[in-house]
Amino acid sequence: MTTSAQTVIAPARARTAVATATVRRKQGFQHGGWFVAPFLALFVLFVVWPLLRGVYLSFTDANISGDSANFVGLDNYREALHDQAMWDALGHSAYFTLLVVPCITVMAFLLAMLAHHIERGKWLWRLCFFVPFLLPSTVAANMWQWLFTQGIGLFNETFGLTTPWLTDKSYAMLAIVIETLWWTVGFSFLLYLAALQGIPGHLYEAAKLDGANAWHRMIHITLPMMRHITGLVIALQALASLQLFDQAVVMMDFSPGPELSTRSFVQYTLEQGFTSYRVGYASAMSIIFFVIIAAVALARMTLLRNREEGTR
Amino acid sequence: MGRPDLNRRQLLAAAGGLTVAASLGFAALGTGADALASGADTRVRYWNLFSGGDGANMIAMLDAFRAEHPDIDVKDSTLQWGNPFYTKLAMAAAGNRAPELGVMHVGRVAGFSPGRLLDPWDETLLAKYGVRKADYNPALWNRGVIDGKLYALPLDIHVQLCFYRKDVLKKADLLGDDGRMIPVTSTDEWFDVLKKARSVQKKGLQTIGLWTNDQNFQWWFFVAFYTQLGGKWFNDDNTEVLFDTDKATQVLEFFRKHVTDGYVIPGAPTGEQFINGAPFTWEGNWSVPVFSGAELDYGATPLPPVFGRQATHAESHAFVLPHQSGRGGATNEAAHELAAYVCTHAVQWAAGGHIPAYTPTLSTAAYKKLEPQNEYVSAMDHQATEPKVWFAGSTGVLAQDLGPVVVSSTMGSAKPASVAQTMKKHLTKLLASKNPMDGRTAAQGGAVA
Repeated sequence: MTTSAQTVIAPARARTAVATATVRRKQGFQHGGWFVAPFLALFVLFVVWPLLRGVYLSFTDANISGDSANFVGLDNYREALHDQAMWDALGHSAYFTLLVVPCITVMAFLLAMLAHHIERGKWLWRLCFFVPFLLPSTVAANMWQWLFTQGIGLFNETFGLTTPWLTDKSYAMLAIVIETLWWTVGFSFLLYLAALQGIPGHLYEAAKLDGANAWHRMIHITLPMMRHITGLVIALQALASLQLFDQAVVMMDFSPGPELSTRSFVQYTLEQGFTSYRVGYASAMSIIFFVIIAAVALARMTLLRNREEGTR
Repeated sequence: MGRPDLNRRQLLAAAGGLTVAASLGFAALGTGADALASGADTRVRYWNLFSGGDGANMIAMLDAFRAEHPDIDVKDSTLQWGNPFYTKLAMAAAGNRAPELGVMHVGRVAGFSPGRLLDPWDETLLAKYGVRKADYNPALWNRGVIDGKLYALPLDIHVQLCFYRKDVLKKADLLGDDGRMIPVTSTDEWFDVLKKARSVQKKGLQTIGLWTNDQNFQWWFFVAFYTQLGGKWFNDDNTEVLFDTDKATQVLEFFRKHVTDGYVIPGAPTGEQFINGAPFTWEGNWSVPVFSGAELDYGATPLPPVFGRQATHAESHAFVLPHQSGRGGATNEAAHELAAYVCTHAVQWAAGGHIPAYTPTLSTAAYKKLEPQNEYVSAMDHQATEPKVWFAGSTGVLAQDLGPVVVSSTMGSAKPASVAQTMKKHLTKLLASKNPMDGRTAAQGGAVA
């Protein structure tokens, strides 16, 4: 059986599985329900309730002390939409995403090709490319902060530069992009590597018999087979990158960066909530951000569905 | 597979039950342990934000207090400096789990809902333990007074200083007979000094560290020089912006000139450069232990009065009483006693570079011996401070809004004159905005002594 056949069959199989599960659930909710209960309780307490509470707070002028919040209707939303600083912060998050996503996608693919085709020391390559991803974000960011420090940093020293990476507004975001590439490329690399290994060997064999050279095999077999996984990589990276926060904050010593140039949407929201103590306003911004993220996720799903229908 | 048997379920339930019971047990143990730990009847919980050298000095002072007052159990907690500290203090006070004693920057008090999140000091009690208004710089004391009540008891002021290397300045003939830097009274003189210093300094280093791209330092320096020019922020009622864009432009151009004339390497680590031989650096007085530890031959003066009048930026660590619904009695008195003790025994605190706010300390022989503290102690009389409004204070909203704008001028990405206009726009917006804590603007806030 070929991989492409598998993907066609998979949805049908999933449907059957869902049907069986439903039957099973009817047999005895009590049994399964109790197993889910501990998770459900925590989920409601720490995810659902805060979410609902956040929606409520976004319509109030609540402050950090938690009392005397007044209902203000859509005032917070109206103010946010006219808040230039919020749009700037959103711009920084978007700029970061636009830089990171294509770079990571291309780099992860190239690294995966490399690790896939190199015969000797395969495990070492895989390890090297993947291991940074296992570091906590603070550790990775701290390391790169040192690497980028002007005057004593290894990065400038190695490349013979004197670039003020962390202290000039034209470079600060690039520094964070470079750090993020190094830190997170391993995850997408792994996805690509798995996909490459999933391509059946007989496709290449057949192509070779028909006289296709390495370039043709790459263009006509490898790349088309990577289409689904590329969509996944791009979507996952875009969603993660839009939520830029921890590495930027650590690398900039908890400041919004030179001339606010690395202040992300999440960071600005945090500042509104915990420096300005405007919990209501910060909640409204979170909801706005939630809508943006949801829109990106929906767009991705729609695109994917259209494409699948197109291939059928 | 068959249904899981009863035994396994019982086991799971038992394990869950055990976990819950154990955590409850630990919680109970936690509260009990506090009470058991010492035989003292009065407990003062004290939250501060001092780490590093300051932390060690504070702990030494607390230990001295403990030795003299065995009946008072001081439980100190050091929390991380910056906004998280204020958030925790606010939420603790709001949730009625506040400690008996806390520390804040005095500039933040007006915005911290005094009366709701903070309780006022009992000045009679303070006097009983030796602290009186007469022993303080009146302007400093009044910064802690809101609506006629004292909410912040200043422990120190910490100021921005001009650090200089005596070994380098000597070569450039810039030291007076007393071995200190010759006084500077105008911008021309100042740049002349920089030029002379540059001609003798080690090559490859900057001449002066200015923190050109740090939004906090640039803001503090701005406050200092804008005050030297006699610039005002708002009128007394906080209804009108009196920010003088011409004066602001003058200050911003002064900063920018350091960069355009090549005295500064933007982004260079200022402290390291100074230790390696850069002639000057402008830093907070908390760098004193760092430079003294490096055994440099250096001095430190308040920021030079280049606009004809002494003024350097000063913030202050102050003791506060976080709001407790049942505040009073022995614990409250012990909190007063502890705060008064630390304020009046602050020579040790001065080792960290800060200027003790309790002025009798400054005339003690022990303090007068401290170098270079004795050189900049005059800063106490020339404090440049942010306006007394709810959005001011260390790393507060005002600094957060205006700091990056000042940086953009110093770094050259915006023109000083237009930056001054932007600053005025920010100030106008802030003055009209409501304090999220009580929904009142600065004009309605009553945050004026």
